[in-house]
Amino acid sequence: MNLPLFLFFGIVAVLLLVLGWALWKPPERGKLRGDPRSFDEDGRRHVTYLPQIRQALAKADFKFLRERASDKVQQRVRRERRGVALAYMDALRGDFQSLLRMARVIAVLSPEVAAVQEFERLRLTAKFSWQYQMIRWKLMAGFATLPQLDGLSNLVSGLSVRMEAAMKELGERAALAAELASSMNRRGLGAV
Amino acid sequence: MQQTLWAVNMAVGVFLLLSLAIRKAYRAFPAFSLYIAVNLVSGTSAFFLYRGWGFSSAPSIRIAWGMQAVVMFARALAVAEVCKHALARYRGVWALAWRALLSCAGIVLVYSSLAARRQWEHFLPNADRGLELSISAVLVTLLAFTRYYEVRVNSTDRWLATGFCLYSCFVALNNTILEHYLYKYVALWNFLQMLAFLGSLLLWAWALRKPQTEAGPAETLLPAGVYQAVAPQVNLRLHLLNEHLGQFWKTEATRN
Repeated sequence: MNLPLFLFFGIVAVLLLVLGWALWKPPERGKLRGDPRSFDEDGRRHVTYLPQIRQALAKADFKFLRERASDKVQQRVRRERRGVALAYMDALRGDFQSLLRMARVIAVLSPEVAAVQEFERLRLTAKFSWQYQMIRWKLMAGFATLPQLDGLSNLVSGLSVRMEAAMKELGERAALAAELASSMNRRGLGAV
Repeated sequence: MQQTLWAVNMAVGVFLLLSLAIRKAYRAFPAFSLYIAVNLVSGTSAFFLYRGWGFSSAPSIRIAWGMQAVVMFARALAVAEVCKHALARYRGVWALAWRALLSCAGIVLVYSSLAARRQWEHFLPNADRGLELSISAVLVTLLAFTRYYEVRVNSTDRWLATGFCLYSCFVALNNTILEHYLYKYVALWNFLQMLAFLGSLLLWAWALRKPQTEAGPAETLLPAGVYQAVAPQVNLRLHLLNEHLGQFWKTEATRN
């Protein structure tokens, strides 16, 4: 056994792993292609709760508790609020992924796609995933503070607003295509 | 044993070709049908060739590898057909994909050639292995593309691609082992290759069990301006978000 032999086995192993990933169907995949008009609602679901989350995690509340409540109660509140923050981070990631999916749908349904933009998005998405995980682990370990989440939410919501116009057009086009198809069927011109 | 397996392979090949003809699937998959036909002709010729001149004679080896080149060419056409079926409806992504697929094939081919340098006695198995690895890389990239863009691929195309990919991966490994244990392994090499091909034939026959339509309905595309307006904004937002997260990370690191 020598190095080239291991390298070729390694390449084939990597190819088979990627093949498995590409063939594996996550349960929510089918939903995306169903109704394009549902995308814009999806992208704004969680970011709208940021004020309530901020209220729940306000420093003033912790200060108030420190003065009046026992250590045990303070610990319990911290634990519960960390749980809230983690759930919010998860929801935010869901929002973000939904927006990215929309961007992909636009790319798929566009007659021209710029390779630079697509590879850049891929790179940035990988970077985002990595940094998001790091923050999440820090939150879980109790190292991270919450105000930093503000910027994250603002960016996601800003992107969602800009996507709306594109999605509206996509919805109109899909409706037009459906209408055309049904009128063709009525006239008996549909594909055999 | 080898001859029995060869006969089984031929029977399954004939069955697949007949089912392609009866179900008129050759209209949807002309290159794939051609590949199966070429493969059958090549298999039959090889049988008579080896019977006449023997397995290891120089004319047998030359003619067999020549036929292998024709089969490989037909396979490349069939793989290109599967790629086109899966993505060509989406003009923009297809334009990006075929360039990426060709580059991928080129890179793997160059790597395989470099890895096999100075081994001229194994030139043909090495070239064959390089081509097989390229085919696998192209198909894996294609399926990864469709997964990433969440493009719905017809299940027949997906299983045809999987059959080609698994067979190519197996042949690449088999040729790599052959290179190291040439004389001891040659009989087993041939047997395993036939077995792998039988597996792919069965997978393809299963994938093509239903009648096939020629092409999927054309997708309604957005005006070009939508992508040009949205894509840079998405990337800018992502870039800002990453910067923001990066700053957060640095602040926390300093604090700790």
